[in-house]
Amino acid sequence: MIRTPLRPLARILPARDKGENPDAIERENIRKRHVEMEGKARNRAEGRLLVLGVFFFGAFTVVGARMGHLATTEPAEPVATINGAAIAAQRADIVDRHGRILATNFETHSLYAQPPQMVDAEAAAKGLAAIFPDLEEAELLKDFTGKRKFIWVKRRISPEQKQAVHDIGDPGLLFGPREMRLYPNGPVAAHVLGGAGFGKEGVRSAEVIGVAGVEKKFDDYLRDPANGNKPLELSLDLSIQAASERVLLGGMKLMNAKGATSILLDVHTGEVISMVSLPDFDPNDRPRPPTEGDDPSVSPLFNRAVQGVYELGSTFKIFAAAQAVDLGLVNRDTIIDTAGPMKIGGHRIGEFQNKNYGKLSVSDIIVKSSNRGTGRLALQIGTKRQKAFLGSLGMYDPTPVEIVEASGGQPLVPERWTDLSSVTISYGHGISTTAMHLAAGYAAIANGGNYVSPTILKKSGPQYGPRVMSRQAADAARHMLRKVVKTGTASFGEVPGYAVGGKTGTADKPKPRGGYYDDKVIATFASIFPSHDPKYVLIVTLDEPSVMAYREERRTAGWTAVPVAAEMIGRVAPLLGLRPDVEPGQVAGITLVNN
Amino acid sequence: MSYLETRVKSTPTGLRKVLFLNWPLVLLLTSVAGVGFLMLYSVAGGSFIPWAEPQMKRFALGMTGMFMVAMVPIWFWRNMAAVAYGMSILLLISVEFFGAVGMGAQRWIDLGFMRLQPSELMKITLVMFLAAYYDWLPAKRNSRPFWVLIPVLIILLPTFLVLRQPDLGTSILLLTAGGAMMFLAGVHWAYFAAVIAAGVGLVSAVFESRGTDWQLLKDYQYRRIDTFLDPSTDPLGAGYHITQSKIALGSGGWTGRGFMQGTQSRLNFLPEKHTDFIFTTLAEEFGFVGGISLLGLYTLIILFCIATALSCRDRFSSLMTLGVAVTFFLFFAVNMSMVMGLAPVVGVPLPMVSYGGSAMLVLMGAFGLVQSAHIHRPR
Repeated sequence: MIRTPLRPLARILPARDKGENPDAIERENIRKRHVEMEGKARNRAEGRLLVLGVFFFGAFTVVGARMGHLATTEPAEPVATINGAAIAAQRADIVDRHGRILATNFETHSLYAQPPQMVDAEAAAKGLAAIFPDLEEAELLKDFTGKRKFIWVKRRISPEQKQAVHDIGDPGLLFGPREMRLYPNGPVAAHVLGGAGFGKEGVRSAEVIGVAGVEKKFDDYLRDPANGNKPLELSLDLSIQAASERVLLGGMKLMNAKGATSILLDVHTGEVISMVSLPDFDPNDRPRPPTEGDDPSVSPLFNRAVQGVYELGSTFKIFAAAQAVDLGLVNRDTIIDTAGPMKIGGHRIGEFQNKNYGKLSVSDIIVKSSNRGTGRLALQIGTKRQKAFLGSLGMYDPTPVEIVEASGGQPLVPERWTDLSSVTISYGHGISTTAMHLAAGYAAIANGGNYVSPTILKKSGPQYGPRVMSRQAADAARHMLRKVVKTGTASFGEVPGYAVGGKTGTADKPKPRGGYYDDKVIATFASIFPSHDPKYVLIVTLDEPSVMAYREERRTAGWTAVPVAAEMIGRVAPLLGLRPDVEPGQVAGITLVNN
Repeated sequence: MSYLETRVKSTPTGLRKVLFLNWPLVLLLTSVAGVGFLMLYSVAGGSFIPWAEPQMKRFALGMTGMFMVAMVPIWFWRNMAAVAYGMSILLLISVEFFGAVGMGAQRWIDLGFMRLQPSELMKITLVMFLAAYYDWLPAKRNSRPFWVLIPVLIILLPTFLVLRQPDLGTSILLLTAGGAMMFLAGVHWAYFAAVIAAGVGLVSAVFESRGTDWQLLKDYQYRRIDTFLDPSTDPLGAGYHITQSKIALGSGGWTGRGFMQGTQSRLNFLPEKHTDFIFTTLAEEFGFVGGISLLGLYTLIILFCIATALSCRDRFSSLMTLGVAVTFFLFFAVNMSMVMGLAPVVGVPLPMVSYGGSAMLVLMGAFGLVQSAHIHRPR
């Protein structure tokens, strides 16, 4: 508004001249100003009110929307968290190669108390003490009447106990679901599965974490909800695993061994079909780990198949023979002089029971298990090539099997690889590996010369690694192995219809402080079957076997490990879907033209 | 000649004032209080004792009080505003010395027949006094720093006293309602922007400094703030109310479990189920439909207040009415947000529904003022 100044007098005078009353005009102007001010104030107030209205509307919308949201969502029970980390409840199952459950989850309950909600603390304490004899009534009462708002009473209770606590009827006693890992098959495949325990614990759930075996190795996978609870598929076959365990347990007892292990490996895929280590345990109730000072290998938790590093003896001879053939140094029928004496680096190389085999073909060196024979082959091969060959079979690294314990199976190899090392290693002394390493080596021979990496996970189709020897060398070795069973040290290994081939090995156990026991051995039988078209490798190892046969105490593999392996093959081969077969070229009576 | 045909050009006098009450507002208030009676009856397990009956008596008392306040011309209340404010402050100070301690906070003065909670009274006298202040203050001085400082002190004094009791909920209510009054009175928006910016700056500084060398608060104080802001991290301690009430709301669903069928609230899972957390009972028994209906009733009350405010010509009546509306709004908005886990738990009752004497009486008195403004508005 443009104010019209009425003063100074210069303006009043003309106004008066026109006959207007200046006071009236001024009053009128003031009134107009007031009206305008009022209008302005009112506009402003209305503007402010509008802002307020918008704010109200927003608040109503938010509250209403929240109400709708809460009404539509299922009420979620609160989950107690530690440091804000959510506890994942569901753990994926573990199944065998045919989808049969090896490990699953089972819901039990934990019992906790919230004293502020308790109706009758005395009765509750009394009732609980009656149900759980290990709880002290006085202690409970002290807890329930104290200041604490939350008390764990029992971590895991059975359904019967839960019902009994329910019957006490106190609203201050509450149950939280507890997911528990359940191994429905008990001790079957215990060493593969390992076990699980509780990690972080909350009211509504507790974290289940793997503590050993595949449970630990694949802990992240099993716990990851992103995997949608897709079970972990192992290469194991539950029936074969169970059968192997029965046979091995029987064999171990029969042979008075203190431990035993067996590995059944698919030679084309490297899948471990069964893996047994005895003594075993029930993963539902894992025994305590051995305290320091004890020999860990005595503990049932010790997985002999992948952790037990031993000199495996004569089973290694086939590698020397195979490599010699592969290098073209010899063929199966090349004659080698195995006569003594043989001195390498000041050490005499002797034969079992000081025998002297004289001149033997390469096949017969394996069949008769001549130390000097393989020693000579090793000297022909040479240190460098032997070292490289065994390396290509994975003999220097922990096995790649996906079990946490496998990384502990670090082979022992000589620091300086001398000629003497070469010779002793050719017959399996001076190098210590696990049974799994041996299985991988035999698989390479059995599948025609390709390295396969042993795995506990289900695979489809052959998983050949690099070629480690020619097909001819592998075939030659295969024939030698078959011959060992037919006419050699493993004659108890013959299983009609399955053409078993294999090599025995009996190694003296080393004393803890150097030197060897003369009455404690590791007896091993490494076998392939059926040897004309090998599909599986079976390693059976007995720890300190001793059996009386023909009025003599026998410890050698031929008397101990071999019959156990034969029994096992006879039991599991039908389960593997192998039908008894007549070996080609061995047909009795009519001999057809053979190409 | 019925009153409907009377085109009154002047303010009604005497008993005829009754006819000119804002009757829809009376009806709305009665409905909301009725919802409260139902709920109190239900949480007591289908009994008028111990809550529903006293609450009904107090409502009757409040209604009488409201009519009485309404009969008195609004200008009388304007003249009394300063006195009322001063007396409230004196009462607030006196609770410090004579107050009974309840629920860990010193809030009441025992008058014999009832317990007076001066902080409740303060909510309304503060609004009255601010309205009177801006009625007295020429509009052009509204935004001058000195004339802004005075109402700020008027607001901060009771806020501080209430905070000392300690009663965080009421102090927040006082502060917010006072701020809203100043905003509605037309104080320049730059002041509000500055205060908000400073507040945001301070809060972010406090949180930014966490874990650095110049950390402003102690570690345990941060942890307390964490739990306060997100009670779900402590479901059995600070977050207990919230988790339980969320469960109640969720179990109510769309239409609820039915009257007297709520489990969460009636099985003693919820402490304070008859006071601050009574909304959970409603939501559990009548579901989303029940909750939104109550929200609708509240909204209508607010709308009627705003309509009255717009029809008033004098600043006191308008501001007073709007102030009552804002206070009422803050009551239920804060309570509902708190119950639904949108806001921290700060102990604000659900207006007209929660069991509690002072709050209901004071609110009825406040609506009496609104009625008075309505009756005595210029025509």
